[in-house]
Amino acid sequence: MYEYDAIVVGAGLSGLRVAIELAEHYEVAVLSKVHPLRSHSVAAQGGINAAMSENDSWESHAFDTVKGSDYLADQDVVEVLTKNAPLAVIENERWGTAFSRTEDGKIAQRPFGGAAFPRTCYAADRTGHNLLHTTYEQALRHGVQFFDEWFVTSLVRQGDRIGGVTALDIATGAIHGFAARAVVIATGGFGRVYGHSTNALINTGDGCAIALRAGVPLKDMEFVQFHPTTLYGSSILITEGARGEGGYLLNKDNERFMKRYAPDKMELAPRDIVARAIRTEVLEGRGFEGQYVHLDLRHLGAEKIKERLPGIREICMHFAGIDPIEEPIPVLPGQHYSMGGIDCNVHGETVLKGLYAVGEAACMSVHGANRLGGNSLLETLVFGRLVGQAVSKYLEAAPKPQAAPVDEAAFTVRQDLQHLLMHDRGETPAQLREIMQHVMDEMVGVFRTKKELETALREIRVVKKRFVNVSLGRSDERFNYALVRTLELRNMLDLAESIILGALSREESRGAHWRLDFPHRDDERFLKHTLITKTDDTFSVSYKDVNLGKFEVKERSY
Amino acid sequence: MLFRVARSRSGEKISHYDLYKVDVKKGMTVLDALFQIQNYMDPSLSFRYSCRGAVCGSCAMLINKVPRLACRTQILELADTKVKLKPFLALTEAPLGWNPESEVLVEPLPNLPILKDLIVDMAPFFDALKQLELWVVPKEGTEPRKQSPEERKLIDRYVNCILCGLCYGSCPVNAEHKEYLGPAALAKSWRFYQDTRIEERERYLQAALAPNGAPLCDLVMNCVRVCPKDVAPGGAIRRIKQSGSS
Repeated sequence: MYEYDAIVVGAGLSGLRVAIELAEHYEVAVLSKVHPLRSHSVAAQGGINAAMSENDSWESHAFDTVKGSDYLADQDVVEVLTKNAPLAVIENERWGTAFSRTEDGKIAQRPFGGAAFPRTCYAADRTGHNLLHTTYEQALRHGVQFFDEWFVTSLVRQGDRIGGVTALDIATGAIHGFAARAVVIATGGFGRVYGHSTNALINTGDGCAIALRAGVPLKDMEFVQFHPTTLYGSSILITEGARGEGGYLLNKDNERFMKRYAPDKMELAPRDIVARAIRTEVLEGRGFEGQYVHLDLRHLGAEKIKERLPGIREICMHFAGIDPIEEPIPVLPGQHYSMGGIDCNVHGETVLKGLYAVGEAACMSVHGANRLGGNSLLETLVFGRLVGQAVSKYLEAAPKPQAAPVDEAAFTVRQDLQHLLMHDRGETPAQLREIMQHVMDEMVGVFRTKKELETALREIRVVKKRFVNVSLGRSDERFNYALVRTLELRNMLDLAESIILGALSREESRGAHWRLDFPHRDDERFLKHTLITKTDDTFSVSYKDVNLGKFEVKERSY
Repeated sequence: MLFRVARSRSGEKISHYDLYKVDVKKGMTVLDALFQIQNYMDPSLSFRYSCRGAVCGSCAMLINKVPRLACRTQILELADTKVKLKPFLALTEAPLGWNPESEVLVEPLPNLPILKDLIVDMAPFFDALKQLELWVVPKEGTEPRKQSPEERKLIDRYVNCILCGLCYGSCPVNAEHKEYLGPAALAKSWRFYQDTRIEERERYLQAALAPNGAPLCDLVMNCVRVCPKDVAPGGAIRRIKQSGSS
């Protein structure tokens, strides 16, 4: 058994930033199912928001965020995010991140959807890559201890507080216990519940699922962000920066259709609105091949495309065989971000003492019903630092963990996995994964109805029943990715059910959650956060109030 | 299409090759094919993956004797993508029966210890970052530093490195000298040395000039040819050598 003051699960930007904060004073270990530099943060393209220009202000950033969230974000948390934004950007700049620059040497900022100012700091279209590599370098400098390629299988409770985690060492196939006084979940989103997703294949929401199973509620799971522009075919992200730099969206009649949906903001309306606009164009027969629209960058010219969007050009050439300097890019909306996650407060604290959540795995909530582009990288760094500080304070007085519950938990997990591996014949996990992803793509997408959601819920529950008989086939203990992917599937099935339940219960349209049978926002009934709790095998839905503040709840138009 | 995939259950060396028949459609990548095998034919096949969009660097492997990212390698275009590399044993020794016309050959990335199947131990590769202390020790301060676009351009290609290890696996020097730090770490040293924002830049250059660093490089430039991000480590190493001798 291992013992640490704190365990951080996940080594993307959030997890690394927490670990850096803790490393100086405490024994901290970061467990990640991949090498830290393979975390999904590396794929963030467009940028990181901070009110740093002369006329901009944190209040303006906060207002845009709250309005973008369709008033579901907690305004006190948004205030913390936006006030701390410049600090987060500057800290990373001083650590060495190579931001793009203005002629006079300042950090360059580009316009992004739903923002009143060009507020998004960027490093070409590889902002996440630059921030992650820099933050990882700093974690190495601080001597953070890493357990790379360790898959966390459960949280260990010790009475009313956390006692540690159990984890599978992927290289050996052995299960180990980790006793810890505090555990921070920083495992990112769960986009792979869907088939058409911009997310890395590893984004399976393991941290959210183990928290749910440990009795911690998930919040606002129905709010799934569909990025308007993902590459037709592979669903790889085409950054909002492409529209920020002036890209046009065109339907098959060569019309800039955004004028019908957001005449003032056009292509730079928030993501939920642009995604619905594209879906509507396609549904009404104005898409290409009945499926996608064009993102046209040609008028930007070769020089600008090469300088500001080199990664996008590379993606188009390698994954679609087109050069955006010469041809428009075929795009359609795809799952992109999970606004929902582990229910926690502004310090990352959950209902389980000593258990914290941060980043996309968490729902604090800063994004409410719709996240603005450039706010997720920001969330990871701002709250990575602050949650690290909160954990640090907690550790001053937190009691030592006991070994016994951790050992017992490891024993139970070993038994459970052996049981799973013993099934000689049964369902192929890959088949069940395909069904789950198809159900989510088709019935829990940009537009939703009661009928579809009910069907989806039924089908996911059938898949869960079938999962009991899943058979992995013969493999070795070492690097058994068939096992890892099956455990991920089990996690995702719980998350899929949570998303559908939240969506079915929320009889209104708000932000990214759009019900065709309830096309209006209903503040009377639903200006509230959804909570999903799992007790044994039963999921229940409840609600809690949104923290309102200085910004009055208004109708949202762009 | 047939896939001839190197297997190694207990690591160290390739023990045999398995042949799989994969249903290939237009747009399919080698990574897609590996998943088809793992999902429906052979769950015991191990390989790394993450982003599937050529930004994370997980799926570096040897495909038709060229180090490549599996996620970015289109199967149907493989026949047309020849890369001329200076040969060493791992790149020249083909398994018996491999027919390059009709079969895709997939093997672990050379020059690193095999752990299982297509998974190699990346520790020697990543350890160089720690050995060379490739990070910034920030000065106190609360203002962002200034950097002109021209100064930013000096480091542009090097900051794009995703540390996938393709350069390391393509390098004849790495094949021969286990202690050689390799192209990626040296390119990263040069990136910091060229970063005008940093004081005490000299230490990155000195670190790169260690006996197991730039001096070992033969300027073969395989690293430049296989780099998926145009980082071109060889150019950086050439400059490190020049700076060291002047």
